[in-house]
Amino acid sequence: MPNRPNQTTLERQYARLGILLIAPTVVVFSAVIVYPLLAAIYLSLFSIYTPTLQGEFVGIDNYVKLLSGKLFWQSLGVTLTWTVGTLTLQVIFGVAMALLLNRSFWFRSLARSLVLFPYFLSTVVAVLVWRWLFNDLYGALNHILMRVGVIDMPLDWLGSMPNAMIGIILVGAWKYFPFVVIAVLARLQTIPEHLYEAAKIDGAGPIARFFDVTLPQLRSVLTVIILLRAIWDFKEFDLIYLLTGGGPVTSTQTLALLVYKEAFSLNQMGQAAAYAVAMMLVMLVFMVVYIRRTGTKET
Amino acid sequence: MADIELRNVRKAFINFVALEDLNLRIEDGEFVALLGPSGCGKSTTLRMLAGLEFPTDGEIRIGGKVVNDVAPGKRDIAMVFQSYALYPHMTVAQNIAYPLKKRGVDKAERDRKVERAAALLHLEPLLSRKPKQLSGGQQQRVALGRALVREPEVFLLDEPLSNLDAKLRSYMRIELIELHRQLGKTMVYVTHDQLEAMTMAHRIAVMNGGKLQQFDTPDAIYNRPANLFVADFIGTPSMNLMEGSLSGSNFTVGGQSVTIDRSRLKPETTDGAAVLGVRPEDIMLGDGTIDAVVELVENTGHEKIVALAVKGCDRILARAPSGSAITVGEAVKIGFDQTKTHLFEKDGEGRRLNLDQDHNSLP
Repeated sequence: MPNRPNQTTLERQYARLGILLIAPTVVVFSAVIVYPLLAAIYLSLFSIYTPTLQGEFVGIDNYVKLLSGKLFWQSLGVTLTWTVGTLTLQVIFGVAMALLLNRSFWFRSLARSLVLFPYFLSTVVAVLVWRWLFNDLYGALNHILMRVGVIDMPLDWLGSMPNAMIGIILVGAWKYFPFVVIAVLARLQTIPEHLYEAAKIDGAGPIARFFDVTLPQLRSVLTVIILLRAIWDFKEFDLIYLLTGGGPVTSTQTLALLVYKEAFSLNQMGQAAAYAVAMMLVMLVFMVVYIRRTGTKET
Repeated sequence: MADIELRNVRKAFINFVALEDLNLRIEDGEFVALLGPSGCGKSTTLRMLAGLEFPTDGEIRIGGKVVNDVAPGKRDIAMVFQSYALYPHMTVAQNIAYPLKKRGVDKAERDRKVERAAALLHLEPLLSRKPKQLSGGQQQRVALGRALVREPEVFLLDEPLSNLDAKLRSYMRIELIELHRQLGKTMVYVTHDQLEAMTMAHRIAVMNGGKLQQFDTPDAIYNRPANLFVADFIGTPSMNLMEGSLSGSNFTVGGQSVTIDRSRLKPETTDGAAVLGVRPEDIMLGDGTIDAVVELVENTGHEKIVALAVKGCDRILARAPSGSAITVGEAVKIGFDQTKTHLFEKDGEGRRLNLDQDHNSLP
């Protein structure tokens, strides 16, 4: 602790207390974040057989393989497609639903709690239900689509492309849009009614009021939502793994799935660690933007 | 032409009635203040004129046309809100230009009008700033600019000065009077501040409990209040109201009697319980028949407000010149200026019992 000469005794005491209070967090943070991070970087420099965790130092060989091989780039493409697709739907559905729930109608509080349901549901349960719905033999989705007359033959939803990608994007959007609803709804409720009244008097219709009053007010919250959800969607594992397992073949194999497969199916822990580190570097871009955005908001 | 007429307007919300049977006629180019305590229905009235609320019953006409079902943007009105309601993400220039933009005015014309409004309100150096970077007074002027850039026939102002400090408020009062003189448009101004209403308005509509109490010139409201509410509400300090009984030309309060000029009362006035009202400036200290004791003297600088204890009635306040030598505890005789006393019914609506023509004849 720097003992500045112009600090009073009381200030020094407060500083000491501050360090004391933050210490447990720093210790835990180091143990569960900093150590694994450093360990991953360390592991990525070895060629390691997962079951024994033994292997030899190979330097940057794993990274060379990663950059020159097709696998990483293909998975990065899949990850970006999935992230952009599901995030776009989450934001559109989320904002629309928040606008709807911000109006007053009967059973509004019931509707508000029901909307949160997918978000609270365990991913495993949600995926099981969706797999039933998507099933090409007895799934409800094909049944309904055929009844309505949109399709003549049952579609193979999770076993062919681009259906599998559409499937995971849809389920992802369904599962995570409530997060957008909560955040946007909270912001909507703080927009002063007078702004809408002023806009009405100024001759703005409902659409103009949305773009000129609502949207500008939502901008800061949407930035945070999009960045956070982009980070979370980018590293999504369980939903995709359970729904398609990365298939057909590797069509929906995101980076997270690639890391898992490399580490536990192919038993190449060192190569898997290299993929994980590369993935982290990509996410670092989102992180930096997020920190910059939320940091500048204070000023 | 933009006269405003409210005919038998009633406004009921789910659990209370905000306005009851309001009839009001505002002439073209007139500056009218809606004055009353909070919850009196003045803001509801204004919001109905703006089209932000719709009357439950009755008819609202602007410029002769019934506007009950006309959207706010389609009425030829502009409104200034108490909170100014400036669009936070737009610059001052964009804020002022917004109503023009929504009406499809082209860019060149918009810029010209914004410039003119900015010049009128001394906003030129602020045009590229955001509302957050402005002081309360500046935001207020931007809100005014946004209202007048469209050149509407009617201006609606909802307590526009109440968020400003006292000095700025008195400055903006003069600015608004000047603005009204220049534009010559109809203005309806909601306030709970009687000073604003008295100094700015041609006529004041005093409201209470959803009912119109009196609609008249500031002079008439002050000198000929229509009922006890108006008498009590207007004036600082407010009018002294003394409950007593009228018998012929005598009014008795707390065992002491004052002479009343019966010819100034309405012929149908009967003897019995009544309320005598005297403004603090119409109380003559040391000149009269009523015994009083000085309880408190407040020196405001340009005058002294003297609180007097009189047997049988509430504390009475009188104005005295700042130089007068009055001491606390002193016993004084007081009297009332005969030509300026007011008499009200004690029961019912507390209607004024004086004939209306008095004071008109006063110099």
